[in-house]
Amino acid sequence: MTVKILAACGAGVNSSHQIKDAIEKEFKKRGYSVQADAVMVKDVNEDMMKNYDIFTPIAKTDLGFTPAIPVINAGPILYRMPAMAKPVYDKIEGVIKKENLK
Amino acid sequence: MAKTVENDLFDAALAFVEDGDDQDTVFKQVSDQLLVAGAVKPDFYEHLSEREKNYPTGIDMSVVNAEYPNVAIPHTEGEFVNVRKIVPIRLKKPIEFANMIAPDQKLKVSFLFMILNNDPEGQANVLAQIMDFLTTSSAETLAKLFGADDAATIYNVLATSFKK
Repeated sequence: MTVKILAACGAGVNSSHQIKDAIEKEFKKRGYSVQADAVMVKDVNEDMMKNYDIFTPIAKTDLGFTPAIPVINAGPILYRMPAMAKPVYDKIEGVIKKENLK
Repeated sequence: MAKTVENDLFDAALAFVEDGDDQDTVFKQVSDQLLVAGAVKPDFYEHLSEREKNYPTGIDMSVVNAEYPNVAIPHTEGEFVNVRKIVPIRLKKPIEFANMIAPDQKLKVSFLFMILNNDPEGQANVLAQIMDFLTTSSAETLAKLFGADDAATIYNVLATSFKK
């Protein structure tokens, strides 16, 4: 099964794309099939969330509704420093295992 | 000044040293110059400014090196820009930005890497390249950049040190 992750940032062009790319690369290395999409926060709605397993915004985000899927703040990934990114990747992997998404 | 590296991420004509007291002032000063250069569309400033208020882009550099000044990466949607460039801007006076990954935290920022990206999916991630530059360049290189007094020095440091 492919784990589907939704990354989001303000413009949907830079930060969320970096998070998408980094997550896909890291989880391929970790042996998972992960597909991430990058969107603008303002476009995120409850219907869109139904198509994903995990939501990874760049910061704590008020969406106007409570997401039904696990939310993991992925901002530290943007530094591209292993020490900062690893805890985020580990949290995502923890959710994948806990929710049996693999 | 003539454009010298048309296809590169940096352009000698699009590097700035600005003296403004707040975000809006600096954004307007730079946006006006980018508009004249044909790099952005007329409504770029409004969208840049609005976006920064809702989705801030300050980056706390103390986690990289306590000696480095904070930076920010202001940008807006690709539909408001005409090119794919990084516009470096040295701020004579530090101005306040909210932290991108912790918006409740305010940072004094001294250098901007304004991202103009009309093709987010087309090539390697611009933000990733900026972060790699900031986290892997020597302290000497970054000191030269952050302490530059003129646009030519900024451009020269980036043109020679920024990994493509």
